[in-house]
Amino acid sequence: MKTLTAGALSAALGLCLSAGPALADTVDDSFYPYRDSVPTHPFVKPGVVLTADNVDQAKDALDEAMYRFIKEGSVTVTVGETMTLDLHPAYVEATRKYHEGVSLGDGPGILLNHIAGRPFPKAPDLNDPRAGEKQMWNFKYSYNQGDGSSIVPFWWKFKNMRTGKVERTIKFSFHFMNFMHRVVESPLPEYADNPSQIYRATYMKVLEPFDVKNTQLLILRYEDDLKRDDAWLYLGFQRRVRRLATGQVTDSFLGTDLMIEDFEGFNGRNSDYDWTYVETRNILLSFYRHNEMPQTNELDEPDGFQFLQFHGKGNCFPKTTWQLRRVYIVVGVPKESGHPIGKRVTYLDAQTYAMGSEVIYDRKGEIWKNLVIGKSDSDYHAPINKGAGVAIDDSVGMIDLQTGHCTTLQFKVNVDPSGYQRSMFTVQNLRATGR
Amino acid sequence: MKGRELGFFSAAALFVATTTLIATEANAYRSPDGRTEFHGFLEDVTFVREGRGISKNRNTVQLELDHEFAKSGMFSKLFFHLALRATYDGVYDINADEFGRTAGGPIQLENLGGPAFVAALPPGAAPPFLAGPTTAHGFGLPLPLAGPPPNLGIDLATNPNDGLRVLGFPLHSQDGGLAFGVPVRPCNVDSRGCIPGYLNFTEDDLRFPTFNSRADFLREVYIDATLPLDGAELGFRLGRQQVVWGRTDLFRVLDVINPVDFSRNNIYDELEDIRIPMWILTTELRLGATGAFDDLNFQVVWNFDKFRPSSLGQGGTPNQIIGAGGLLRGLKNCWDNGCTVANFADPLGLNQGLVAVNIPAGVIGVRQANMPKWNLDNTQIGGRIEGLLHGVGFSINYLHFRQQLPSLRGGIPALNPFGPLSNDLLAQPRPFLPAFDINFPTVDLVGGSLDFYVDGIKSVFRVEAAYTTGEEFANGLRPELFSKSDVIRYVIGIDRNTFIPFLNEHRSFLFSAQIFGQHLLDHELQPTVGSSLGIPGFGKNGMPDWKNNWVGTLLIRGMYMHDQLNPQILFARDFKAHANVIGPSVDWLINDSWRIIFGANIKFGTGGQKFDDGRTGNQFPPFTATPLHASPFEQGSVGLGGFEPLGRFRSGPIGMAQKEDEFQLTVRYRF
Repeated sequence: MKTLTAGALSAALGLCLSAGPALADTVDDSFYPYRDSVPTHPFVKPGVVLTADNVDQAKDALDEAMYRFIKEGSVTVTVGETMTLDLHPAYVEATRKYHEGVSLGDGPGILLNHIAGRPFPKAPDLNDPRAGEKQMWNFKYSYNQGDGSSIVPFWWKFKNMRTGKVERTIKFSFHFMNFMHRVVESPLPEYADNPSQIYRATYMKVLEPFDVKNTQLLILRYEDDLKRDDAWLYLGFQRRVRRLATGQVTDSFLGTDLMIEDFEGFNGRNSDYDWTYVETRNILLSFYRHNEMPQTNELDEPDGFQFLQFHGKGNCFPKTTWQLRRVYIVVGVPKESGHPIGKRVTYLDAQTYAMGSEVIYDRKGEIWKNLVIGKSDSDYHAPINKGAGVAIDDSVGMIDLQTGHCTTLQFKVNVDPSGYQRSMFTVQNLRATGR
Repeated sequence: MKGRELGFFSAAALFVATTTLIATEANAYRSPDGRTEFHGFLEDVTFVREGRGISKNRNTVQLELDHEFAKSGMFSKLFFHLALRATYDGVYDINADEFGRTAGGPIQLENLGGPAFVAALPPGAAPPFLAGPTTAHGFGLPLPLAGPPPNLGIDLATNPNDGLRVLGFPLHSQDGGLAFGVPVRPCNVDSRGCIPGYLNFTEDDLRFPTFNSRADFLREVYIDATLPLDGAELGFRLGRQQVVWGRTDLFRVLDVINPVDFSRNNIYDELEDIRIPMWILTTELRLGATGAFDDLNFQVVWNFDKFRPSSLGQGGTPNQIIGAGGLLRGLKNCWDNGCTVANFADPLGLNQGLVAVNIPAGVIGVRQANMPKWNLDNTQIGGRIEGLLHGVGFSINYLHFRQQLPSLRGGIPALNPFGPLSNDLLAQPRPFLPAFDINFPTVDLVGGSLDFYVDGIKSVFRVEAAYTTGEEFANGLRPELFSKSDVIRYVIGIDRNTFIPFLNEHRSFLFSAQIFGQHLLDHELQPTVGSSLGIPGFGKNGMPDWKNNWVGTLLIRGMYMHDQLNPQILFARDFKAHANVIGPSVDWLINDSWRIIFGANIKFGTGGQKFDDGRTGNQFPPFTATPLHASPFEQGSVGLGGFEPLGRFRSGPIGMAQKEDEFQLTVRYRF
């Protein structure tokens, strides 16, 4: 059980903030960018619907791929009001407590003295040659899954964008847990019995369809960014745990349009890319309140939770409102010469460091894929998440522009610790629960 | 209701139910609270074998029920799993001439010395049926035990020359070697050579293999329970289940707790499908992160089921690993009814080839299978320590179990076919005589496994090794024709996902290579008199299994159309046998319900191999002594060999199946 809800603390903090400007420091600037005003745009205002006819007036508020989709009539975007999405006060306080001691190592992939919270809350500076790296550290240690979370069920649909046909549906359960840099759930800030310094673990299980049912995946991510993940796969048809070669992160995940490296926007090692901070801009992102969005009753849940709808060409786009948000644009270029990606243009939400959007280019410089990650305020999601202080992953569309195909993801996220236990994140758990 | 009728009606009911489900496009059932789930599949597998026609038409219905109980009492998790499987293999009806009730026919056995033998006999003394280079089953040279002419020593009324294949068919010719007839029809049609309690399958047993006395339609049924401890968990799984040890594909180094069914598709089906579930209790103490270990667990496995050997395939059925089913059935028929053995003797010392001989019942062959009865001492137990240390997965394993492949122990009491001449009329153990009982000795296994990732080459290594004591092997140097040997087995595997951009720009190919090694530490193989003299056809004697052998495999799998079209090639080579197999296949996942797999299984390289066959063992001195024996009473082989019966151990499962190339089609509907 949480000892203090995010809502209560943020309310208290809000009172403090309103008490005087003395507390308006670097940390507050980072976590409460909209306390005084929200981003504005001459054309992009709440209620406006962006279509092929008017999108040119909003071009500077869209990533290149979304602009193209709207321009060609593949989708329309309804603008919503910009909202503050306050992260859990404990994460903010951890940032306040520890960030001043954090520094980059001499080379990429080394972060020194990070204990918990956001490592670099100060806004990026174009004059800082390592500003891009710092943003990606902030992304890596963001609070977008809390100290742990579960997604059950988690629907992945393979869609032909041209015909709209759903080719395949996979139902997963996903579970995450941070072993280190914890801010809410005890032990804080990390487990003592963690000999290999595992930072984070991910456990996944396929629930449907039955040709891959009981397939399980365990990924252990180490604190050392220069070290590869370890991963194991349990295959139901073999009844055996098989270790995976984790170096090949540019492979399609189970035939979807996502590479393993694409998970959550970027799932590789920071040291695998050269990161450059490009600019800060007000950009439209699919951030919203889940409970206020159109929902589908196609996928019934016993507790009444309903998933978001998709629309547009091929039903590849989350049907949400999009809001204008302060975004740090960071470009990543893979260091490996054989990498299929030319560059990643990432759009990091300045308040949460969630990756709201990403445009992926191939090595010829053509747009290859566009990732849209819909984020909901946890206070307007399932009741169990109220007060979690998390920008909840809620809807994803990964669109392959070159093949005309997409994979959509519909989430039922639970940030409460009841959705995961540490014993889940062991190889033996794969064997013990394998069928 | 008899078992086979129950099987038929149960299978029919399952088929009707499943067909109805397909017709209504039913989905799996999940209860509103998500705790109960029911699903399954219907599958048709049809294989066509070169020269034989349809070799498999297996139709399977599998239904699975899972229920997770609400947390209650002391258990944090309680789970029930049930899997029912009904199978009908139509090959025994569709292709009865090859594998069913009308399979086989009359056979001719080589009698290469026959013409010279008959020519050397006084006029009128020569049996006319021995005059040619071949002779029919039942018409070999009679031995004195048969009695005076016209007795032949084989009762053709009970052991007719029909429904037979020559041992080694269709892999190799007799080629001057030893051979005899193998009854090939189901045991209810022709009971010859059927071994009670072991290989004794009727037509319905073969058609409906899951409906047998061991209730194999009950594929799995078990309860899983987890008891939380302070920072750890105690887990139990009780019921009919598979317990899988090891980290490698295809090979069974540590994965030996459950026997397997090789009669389904030789060595080529997924082990998950051919492991024979047993009644087992597994207990696990899961400590999680402990000390230097990121994960540490202890497991005890108690297989308290009545012993079951691996299923080798019965003589006459399409899949018999290393042709063992045919050999055992032929030997059993020899013991029960007598048999004509090709190219067996040179009674006149003419040195112009050997004549076929009728060996009466009770002399050579398999007398019986001594199946271990259930008692506490016959249950099997093992343990494993498994964990993760500095990124390296490891296990240490121990298992006390029974050898799942048969050991043929000689030295049983047998008759002397020259009895009236020797006054040796009582059955007694006879050195080097191939008169056997089948036994399943106890074995102790100590082993371990590792897996680790090497980032420099983006590859995973999997290593598995085991040391066993107590295994028994054929050994022509020992009077009882078998001996024990300690054995080391291991597999080293490497997996790498590699992009081949001109074949697939966005999806890597899986390359998985393995090398399996087997080393018999107490191997015996010695030159014989014949081999020392360099006489053609003579070779070394001892253990036909290779002392040191390796099998390599390479799997390449690609994925297209968002993993819905998956071509792959599997290649394997038995290095000592010089035998290879290549298995290309394409797996098309049409949608979430339908799947088609089209493949082939092509072998090339060396097939049959020769080894000392014991013909020159002088088992009945002085009558069977050869000129190469130092005295008429010296016993033991002087080295004459042929394909049968022991060459199979040199050829191995790939070499022995060189005439079993197949095209294979699998259609599966899941719900």
